[in-house]
Formats: sequence, structure tokens, C-alpha cells
Amino acid sequence: MGSHACSPLFLALRMTILGTAFGMVFYLLQVVSGESGYAQNGDFEDAEPDDYSFSCYSQLEVNGSQHLINCAFDDPDVKSNNLEFEICESLTVNSCLNFNKLQERYLLKTEKFLLIGESKVCVKLRGKIVTCKTIKIIEIVKPEAPFNLKVIYRKEANDFVVTFNISQKKYVKKLIHEVAYHQEKNENDWTHVNLSSTKLTLLQKKLQADAMYEIKVRSIPLADYFQGFWSEWSPSFHFKTPESKGEMDPVLLIVSMLSFFCVALMFILACVLWKKRIKPIIWPSLPDHKKTLEQLCKKPKKNLYASFNPESFLDCQIHKVDGIQARDEVEGFLQDTFSPQLEESEKQRPGGSVQGTKHAVITPKPFRGDAPLGCLARNVSACDAPELSFSRSPDCRAGGKNEPPEDQGLLVGPGTTNGTLSPPFPFQSEILTLNPATQGQPLLTSLGSSQEEAYVTMSSFYQNQ
Amino acid sequence: MFHVSLRYIFGIPPLILVLLPVASPDCEIEGKNGEEYRHVLTVSFEILAPIGENDSNCLNNEHNFFKKHSCDDDKEATFLKTAARKLKHFLNTNIHEELKHHLSIVSQGTLKLLNCTRKDKGKKQASLGEAQPTKNLEAKKSLKEQRKQDDMCFLRMLLQQIKTCWNKILRGTKEH
Repeated sequence: MGSHACSPLFLALRMTILGTAFGMVFYLLQVVSGESGYAQNGDFEDAEPDDYSFSCYSQLEVNGSQHLINCAFDDPDVKSNNLEFEICESLTVNSCLNFNKLQERYLLKTEKFLLIGESKVCVKLRGKIVTCKTIKIIEIVKPEAPFNLKVIYRKEANDFVVTFNISQKKYVKKLIHEVAYHQEKNENDWTHVNLSSTKLTLLQKKLQADAMYEIKVRSIPLADYFQGFWSEWSPSFHFKTPESKGEMDPVLLIVSMLSFFCVALMFILACVLWKKRIKPIIWPSLPDHKKTLEQLCKKPKKNLYASFNPESFLDCQIHKVDGIQARDEVEGFLQDTFSPQLEESEKQRPGGSVQGTKHAVITPKPFRGDAPLGCLARNVSACDAPELSFSRSPDCRAGGKNEPPEDQGLLVGPGTTNGTLSPPFPFQSEILTLNPATQGQPLLTSLGSSQEEAYVTMSSFYQNQ
Repeated sequence: MFHVSLRYIFGIPPLILVLLPVASPDCEIEGKNGEEYRHVLTVSFEILAPIGENDSNCLNNEHNFFKKHSCDDDKEATFLKTAARKLKHFLNTNIHEELKHHLSIVSQGTLKLLNCTRKDKGKKQASLGEAQPTKNLEAKKSLKEQRKQDDMCFLRMLLQQIKTCWNKILRGTKEH
């Protein structure tokens, strides 16, 4: 009985649970179908709310003192049949102003903008405000596009002058312009130049020669008080650059000119310094002793002359002939007397102790011949210089020091055992001794003979080598 | 004694409430950087400059308005507010529409920049000497008599005074 009594209650409970479950399933199905876009009635209640966001821009003084405000929905799919726009506040009138619809855009052209403060632009659906936005007319300014764009080629200056015009306004006076140009074959390779004036100069060298270019310009308010957006691009202007005349780059031209001058300078220097500097370095001449000596001795002694000018003998000791002759007599006498003793003493002491004796005995000899020879020989041409330097210069120097001039010759002569150097001195001393009183030409003749002897000696030396 | 003291105590707050609006400034000048003045109001002043230019008596004829209202120190906002309201009267006169438009910009633009919180219509009328019916009638009579000669002169002087007062405010802002 108990089980029978409970069964209706149990059934009722089961039915309730089943009904609830079916209800939930049906609800879920309805929700899912709604989200999947299977709405049957097409009412707004089932569709997503439209996005009524919009954007506006203003154009000041588009027609005299009239301004324009232009608004449009950001979503172009918005059903705008029953939608309206209005603007309130910051107007010279107290009421709000309604926009006019033109296709998908909403326009209002009026002079009643105060241009100070914020305005409120609202979207209305069937008279009810849907959404509003606070804007400042002065901060959404979109200037009018520049017009009358021209490009003039200046042949003299090798440049292109780009000019264009803009509408003169009382309010938005300061604009920034953007000029864009490109070679027509390069579609997207635009070059942009910003400027505040309506004139631009393009240098010819920055453009490709013999090419078609397209150029256009647009403007934007300089953001001081009026701000906004870029204007539309002006109508494009097409121009062709002239053909290249083979003009070189100035830098390249300067470098090439400098290089040419450097090469020319080096060539000239090479020509000038060839014989003196360059050739001796490249092909050094081997010294030929024979030729040298031949030239030395065959050279005519044009500059050989004898001078008795006392100034020529300033650095030499000059003795009066009378005194020398008197001394010669005395010495001759003494020589006769002491010569045997001298020979003996020389044999016994061939060293430095002989010097003092020499002073006493042989001093007169050089006075007679050697000193004048040295001083005369100084006037001989350069050909004789190497040869004469042995006998001349030391004597002159010795004379300057007040030393007996014959010392050098006598000391070197007898004391020297070198066969190559000894011949000139014996010859010389011999000549001088044999011609004690001779002057000028005879002396030089003897000098020439000594050179010949030197030549013979050197030639033999050369042949031996 | 107790009643007397209570009377004093409870009498002070109402007194403060009455005096407070008078003592506090009712206008706060916006746009002291001068941007709005330079870019908007100046344009209108330039367009309105030819008004009364040919009238030689303008300089000799000083209007009563300027005897009552001047752009003295600490009274600039009050003067501008009064002058801007006065300009509105010229919108009903027979002048060119463009001039009316720019008069409206100067008038409403000035009032917007002053950002006056208190709208004292009665006081405004009194300050202009047009609130009381008798004075209003007198003013109307005098205006009717001198309208042809004085209207443009007064408008010119009014515009000049407004311009001078704005310059004074902006100059003071720069100095500070």
C-alpha cells in the first residue's frame, strides 16, 4: 500500500524534472540559434546594437564666411535611414543646428560657429539622442586642397620651380604643405618635402634625366591654434626632365682635374730632374779612372794664369828676394861646411831629432820655390786641384801658422816610405831646388810635368789592378 | 541677554550668505594665453574696424556708458561682461549681416571666455542704465535722437574699449 501511495507523487516529481530539463534544452537551443544568426524576426532586439561612432572634420570659410562641418559614421554599414546629426553649443545662436544628409555623409554649412570652446555633436534616431561627442571645431580643421600646381624648368639654374596656390583665409593662415613627387615608372617610390611656403625648388641633379615625374601637394594646419587633418591631394602635375648633357658631377670633375695637374707636375719634375737626380739613382755611372785622368790632363788650362797681385798671397809668407839671396849665400856657406856632419847625423838619428837640424839647414829651399808654387797653384783650374792639394794647401796653412813651410814637405818627403805618394814630392823639391829663382810659367811647366808623372803612376796602378 | 546673543549668533550666517556673492568674483577669465583672442576675436575686430571710421565726431562724443564703466584694474572682467552684453543690442540694428555676425562673435566669444557663473539680469540692466522703466525711456529717447549720429560712434568706441581691455588682460598675464 505504501508503494502505491508514493507512486503518484513520484510520477509528478519525475514529470517536473523532465519538464525542467526539456525547458532548459529548449532555452539553450534558442540561445544557440540566436547567437548563430538564425534570428527569424529580424528585429533590433535580437541584432547587435549598431556602432554609431562617427568622425567629423571642419573646413573654415569654404564659402565666404561660411564654415562647413562634415561627419560620417565610422562603420559604413550602419543603417542611417532614420539617423540625424545635430550640433549644439559654441555657436553664435542659442539653438542647436541640424546637419543635412548627403549620401553617407552629414554636412552643415553655416557661419554660426563661434570657434571658441567646445561643441557637442549628437546622433539622433527618430528624434532621440543615440550618442554624442564633444568636439572643438578648431581642432578638426581640414584645409582645402592646394590648387594650380605648376612646375617650371629653369635651364639657367638647372632646377625646377614648383608653385601652387592655396585659398586665402582669415582664420587658418598658417599651413604646412607636403609636396610629393615620384618617377612615374616607380609607382610607390614617392619623395616627400615639407614646406611652409608655396614655392619649392627641385634641383635637376636630384632628378633622373629624361624621365616623367608626377607631383602633387597637400596641406595641414600648423598646430598653433587651429589643428586638424591633411587636406586632399591637389590634382597631380606631370612633367618631364630634360635629357642629360653629359655633365659631370662637380666633385668628380674637381678630382679628375687635380689628378691631371698632379700627373703633369710629376712629368715636368721628372723631365727637369732626370739628368741630375733621377738618372744617377736609376743608372749610377761607374767611375772610369783612366778617362778621369785623361780628362784631367788633356783639359786645356784656360784659367791658368800667374798673378803677382799681393792680395793673392795674403795667406802665404812673402820674403824679400834680397833677404833670401843673402840667406842663400850664408846657407850655401854653411851647407858646404856642415853637410858631411849633417849626413852623418841623419844616418845616426832618422827620427824626430832631425827636425831641428832641418830647420837650420834646409829652410831656404821652400822659401824659394814651394810657397810661391802653392800660392800660384791656387789660381790653377780645378783640373789641377787634386794634384796640387798635396803641395799647396798644407804649405799655405803652415805659413799662416808661422811655421817653416818646408817642414811639411821635408817631413813627408823623406819620412814617407809609400812609393805611390813619394814621387810628387821628390820631384817637386827637386824642381824647386833646381829652379830657385824661377817664377810664373816655368814653374807651372814643371807643375804640368809633375802631373804627367802622376798620370803615369796612376795609369800603371790602374793597369795593375 | 541670552536672546540678544542668540540673535547675533543666528544673524551672522545669513549676512555672510548675502555678502558672499558680492565679494567673490563672478567671472573667471579663460583663455588668458590669448590664443582665442589672437586667432578668433582679432579677426572680428579687424572686420569691424571700419565701423564709424568716417564719423569725425566720434572722438569728441564720449558716451555715458564709459563714464559708468571702465576697464580699471580688477574691473576688467566686469567691464568686458557689460560691454559684451551691450554689443548684443547692436545685432538688432540695421547693419550689414557680416558685421552682425562678427559682432556676435566678439560679444559671445568674450562672454564665453569670461566664463561668468552668475547671471544677474536685473543687475545687468541696472548697470546699463536701462533697467528702470523711466531711465529706459529716457535712454530710448536719447538714443532715438542721437541714433543716426551716435550709434556707430558708440559701437566703434565700445569695440575699441573691449579690444583695449583684452589687450590689458593679456599683457598683464604675460608680465606675470
